Amino acid sequence: MNIISVGVNHKTAPIEIRERISLSEVQNKEFITGLISGGLAHEAMVLSTCNRTELYVVPAMHEVTGEYLKDYIISFRDARKDVRPEHFFSRFYCGTARHLFEVSSAIDSLILGEGQILGQVKEAYRIAAEVQAAGILITRLCHTAFSVAKKVKTKTKIMEGAVSVSYAAVELAQKIFSNLSMKKILLVGAGETGELAAKHMFAKNARNIVITNRTQSKAEALAEELGTNRVLPFESYKEHLHEFDIIITAVSTKDYIITEADMHGAMQKRRLKPVIILDLGLPRNADPEIGKLQNMFLKDIDALKHIIDKNLERRSLELPKVHSIIDEELVAFGQWINTLKVRPTIVDLQSKFIEIKEKELERYRYKVSEEELRRMEHLTDRIMKKILHHPIKMLKAPISTSDNMPSRVDLVRNVFDLEEPNQSH
Amino acid sequence: MNNIILDNTPLFILTQVVSMLYIVTTILYGAHFFKDSQSAKKYKQPALVLTVLTHLVYLGLLTSIAGYRIGYSTFNIMTMVALTLTTTYFFIEFTTKSDKTGFFVIAFATGAELISSIMTAQTSSTSPSFTGIGMGVHLIAAIFGFSAIAIAGLYSFLYLLLFRQIQRNRFELLFQRLPNLEVLERLIMHAVAFGFIFLSVTLFAGMVEQNATGGVINISDPKLVTLGLIWLIYGTSIFIRPLLGWDIKHMAYLLIFLFVFITLLITLMAVFSPTFHSISL
Repeated sequence: MNIISVGVNHKTAPIEIRERISLSEVQNKEFITGLISGGLAHEAMVLSTCNRTELYVVPAMHEVTGEYLKDYIISFRDARKDVRPEHFFSRFYCGTARHLFEVSSAIDSLILGEGQILGQVKEAYRIAAEVQAAGILITRLCHTAFSVAKKVKTKTKIMEGAVSVSYAAVELAQKIFSNLSMKKILLVGAGETGELAAKHMFAKNARNIVITNRTQSKAEALAEELGTNRVLPFESYKEHLHEFDIIITAVSTKDYIITEADMHGAMQKRRLKPVIILDLGLPRNADPEIGKLQNMFLKDIDALKHIIDKNLERRSLELPKVHSIIDEELVAFGQWINTLKVRPTIVDLQSKFIEIKEKELERYRYKVSEEELRRMEHLTDRIMKKILHHPIKMLKAPISTSDNMPSRVDLVRNVFDLEEPNQSH
Repeated sequence: MNNIILDNTPLFILTQVVSMLYIVTTILYGAHFFKDSQSAKKYKQPALVLTVLTHLVYLGLLTSIAGYRIGYSTFNIMTMVALTLTTTYFFIEFTTKSDKTGFFVIAFATGAELISSIMTAQTSSTSPSFTGIGMGVHLIAAIFGFSAIAIAGLYSFLYLLLFRQIQRNRFELLFQRLPNLEVLERLIMHAVAFGFIFLSVTLFAGMVEQNATGGVINISDPKLVTLGLIWLIYGTSIFIRPLLGWDIKHMAYLLIFLFVFITLLITLMAVFSPTFHSISL
């Protein structure tokens, strides 16, 4: 029994290729339904995100190989002109399992340890299950992947620390102030970057957020969304600078909107209480000279990227721990796969003994009473279970490689004179 | 040789054990802070508790020799300071749930304990012991006062360290592991307030005791002048921010200076003077 995975991701193909191959939910369902109903696969799942499109397939015939599946998805997306098989990766059996475990743990992601991928894997599994394309193997594979991801999240620090500019800004603010809910925050600019930073602040219990924007209505909309409903007119916000502990600027402008003179005056009014200015603008919104003022922390995007780099560095140090968790789970998954191989033999063995039992009991059916027959049946059941216990235990026993499995199966089949198994899934 | 440590086997062994426990606890706290060692994280708190308990047993045995009265030699004061520091830190860790500053406080306590045990082992005479409740209060308050000064100094140092790390965009280990600036500031201010209270009690109890024993208070006594000056600076520093608009950064420099100055003073006295005060035996 094999499980193949092929796909494109940020490591194997540029973005235009990934875009070309990606599948919407509807296409995803259509694709895996086609594989199953066409008799090509017993089970199938497609993981399609902005960075990857990967197929996980349990083939139903020998012809269905990695190359076949690459060609199949290229033709399904009508992308022969743009996409070539070289853009894909291929994995088989344990390689497939390892790959999905790495993907779910977010160590195969573009941003190491990003938190979205597990949800996307769960979504891919949900879609496959919805169209009855997730059988015993893919279900087990996915659930093991979820468990790996959970272990990785709890036992390692692979997801710790900010890896986005807006979140790094919050992390930095928390290194200066202990309780953001007690701090007054000014957001200058209600664009996408500012909005994201404000939402991160809000998530960390900051509630005293005042918004100012050139377009007043945009500021009001964001304030309403955050539930602060506090807006300052853009023309007069500078008069209130001294009131704020944290100032976030994210405005598109060529000139500095906050000057050294502005902040000097504000600091005098504040009696030098610390202030942090998080300048998320590009070009910068705050005069760099401000950073020289006493008790003033001025941080621009470059400074925040330092935090991100350090966090990514720290995350990468966790990789050996993640790999060891994956290795552990991979061994257990491999053992489980091996037990699947012996399942038909166990079923045949039990059936054979039941058949013998029933034949022998039939000979006594009219020679003994009903009560005696029931006792005999009970007795033979117990004898049968005891005889079968050891062979079944031996078949299920863990093995270091799958090479020993056929010899074990053959031995049992020969000893108990079982018929050749059919090669169905 | 007439030495209370060397002449008493259990006390000699306990001295070594206490010193070793301080070193082990410091190593564990250091390994957790700098290397993020999980085994160090697991064992550091039990090690801290064991150290404090063993130190208490050691002090009990040490004072039992003088009829459960502590001699106020500089070495005894230093071992008491080590115990007070670790106990204070133990209290901070268990109440604030923050174990990020332990290494720095316990390392200093370990230094004090090591100097104390080495110097005590080399001293061939027992130091005078205090009698009277006034002297007891004076001594205990002085020990707690110095512990508060040490904690204020150490946390001021950490505050400046983190402040500079943030200013210079050096988001390294200290940035990651230390508590935030506001928490450090709160710890500093609490330590200063406690320091001022205990120094006030030290001064007051000392004067009461001096009067009670019929001694004349010599206001030109350098120790008294120094203590008075330190008490005044600490008292002023509590109100210095609202009065002069000083920020915590400048206060931190002052507190570090005072901490270093007092530590040097105590160390010099440990070398050149067996006791803090001249005693008429």
